[in-house]
Amino acid sequence: MSNRLIASAIALTGLVAVSALAQTQSKPALLAKEGASKTAAAPKTPEGVPDLSGFYTTSTTVPFERPKDLGAKEFFTPEEAAAYTKKSLAAKAPTGPGTYADVHYDMAQFGLEKDQNKVGTSIRTSIVTGPEGRVPPQLPAARQRAAAKQAANRGHEFDGPENRGLPEQCIYWNGAPPMTSGGYNSNIQISQGKGYVAITSEMIHETRIIPTDNSAHLPSSMKMLLGDGRGHWEGDTLVIDTTNFSDRSSFRGSDENLHVVERISRANADTLKYEFTVTDPTVWEKSWSGEMPLAKIDGPLFEYACTEGNYGMPNNLSGARADEAKGKVPNGRAALGE
Amino acid sequence: MQTRLRSLSLTKALATLAVATLCGIPAAAQNAAYRAPRTADGKPDLNGIWQALNAANWDIQAHGASAGPSFALAADFAVPPGPGVVEGNDIPYLPAALEQRKKNLANRFKDDPEIKCYLPGVPRANYMPYPFQIIQSQKNILMAYEYANAVRNVDMVKASKAPVDSWMGWSNGHWEGETLVVDVTGLNNKTWFDRSGNFHSDALHVVERYTMRSPDVMNYEATIEDPKTFSRPWKISMPLYRHVEKNAQILEFKCVEFAEELLYGSLRKKGTGPNANAGK
Repeated sequence: MSNRLIASAIALTGLVAVSALAQTQSKPALLAKEGASKTAAAPKTPEGVPDLSGFYTTSTTVPFERPKDLGAKEFFTPEEAAAYTKKSLAAKAPTGPGTYADVHYDMAQFGLEKDQNKVGTSIRTSIVTGPEGRVPPQLPAARQRAAAKQAANRGHEFDGPENRGLPEQCIYWNGAPPMTSGGYNSNIQISQGKGYVAITSEMIHETRIIPTDNSAHLPSSMKMLLGDGRGHWEGDTLVIDTTNFSDRSSFRGSDENLHVVERISRANADTLKYEFTVTDPTVWEKSWSGEMPLAKIDGPLFEYACTEGNYGMPNNLSGARADEAKGKVPNGRAALGE
Repeated sequence: MQTRLRSLSLTKALATLAVATLCGIPAAAQNAAYRAPRTADGKPDLNGIWQALNAANWDIQAHGASAGPSFALAADFAVPPGPGVVEGNDIPYLPAALEQRKKNLANRFKDDPEIKCYLPGVPRANYMPYPFQIIQSQKNILMAYEYANAVRNVDMVKASKAPVDSWMGWSNGHWEGETLVVDVTGLNNKTWFDRSGNFHSDALHVVERYTMRSPDVMNYEATIEDPKTFSRPWKISMPLYRHVEKNAQILEFKCVEFAEELLYGSLRKKGTGPNANAGK
């Protein structure tokens, strides 16, 4: 097949799963153009719906927003994408004072570095789609609210557990939609049973249970960190509509009016295509969207018993109290050069 | 001749019924008379939202009512009575373990890991007072619990050894006729069986059996084996009931936040109060 044909075939949905460990790049599958039927290729469950089940990583080398120097370039060529991926995986971690390297927190010894694991790659230059490839600016009122929140916490970062943030409190990590590329162990499991799809995030063992009957959402007074998701199938694509968010998970500054629509379909045997559209009229003027690959991994998920082993919280709080006893203002971030 | 044969088989049937009733398991389940509807791949369909309806989470043995931990909350949080779910009502503790159990019971309102929203382990997760959902496929059966987002993945394809201990254990499953059998190993020693201090070591091995007994009720049995704690294996059994209401749903019970003041209150800055936003 000619290079031009290959390029155009994957230009629209060029999604590839790359195992850096294997030292080779798997050949980009020759994906059908958008709109062409994928039914022949897509495996189905015994219930007759597309089989999306399995273990995947949300870890990807595609940056969330497009690097400024790429301007309006939404897609790399396959060669440029390969070079970018290689550079991204080879990038060395920062080594200044207060960095992980400085305190000898060597992720590589635990096999947690990106170049030791499967990552999803794509020919996109950013997860955020569209000509700008960047999250739109927040509305002025939303920016004011965010600034006020930050100001209210300034000087109180170590007062109590509620000032530390949901991850350190072991309450919530990143299980809410839209799924984004996390740090290490950014793994999910998709399980399918009659009438439901479940998406389990490894950290902190949260499961979104999505009925696929397009049923009505919970009453709007019910607010949950993971929101309330309702799904249905459109051909080979699982569409999930999520509302009823609490304003505390706050994806990119969003609040409880957040509304996320996700579309998940199989790109090839090793990869799922994951698209999302985010709407929050009190934060952004218009909706914006993203697309990223979910690369298949061996699995299974391992248990992340967060609160059961939360030494960080008592250590940070007691350290702050010790600082105060010496007349110092507790400010852990100053040590990290922030 | 015919009459004699008929009366023989009648006697046999009555004998089976008698034995079944004495063992506490209804004859219907004993004879495996109920054939559950099948999933598309031909297995008994266990999909659904389930919950135990008993006092086992308070105390898995037969017990009377007793005072709760708080005078202020009085009857709201008193310990309700229960007939027990342990077959024979006897938990065969080894002598040293029995002493530990007594200590646990005396300190239950402080030491029960559930108070801190810690993961409940197996089998306790299945009889917490919150629903859980079974999502079943050929490859895996996911059990997603409302309590603390606890979750278990039962591998239905290839049994494997637990690579590491965990709170919720490592579950391998297979079918035996109408029954889902789940073999659980790799459980750590940090969970209790109930709020009354019944406990185990990290040698715990649980074998669960899930069998539909009627369209909306499942028999759940678990055999407990732990040579470091008990002198022999013992068994619990109970029905699990399907949530049949149209809006049945596993909701969000992230109880970690409700335990924060207990866990970290002594470390907060003087003059600041408990988290006013907990649960919002």
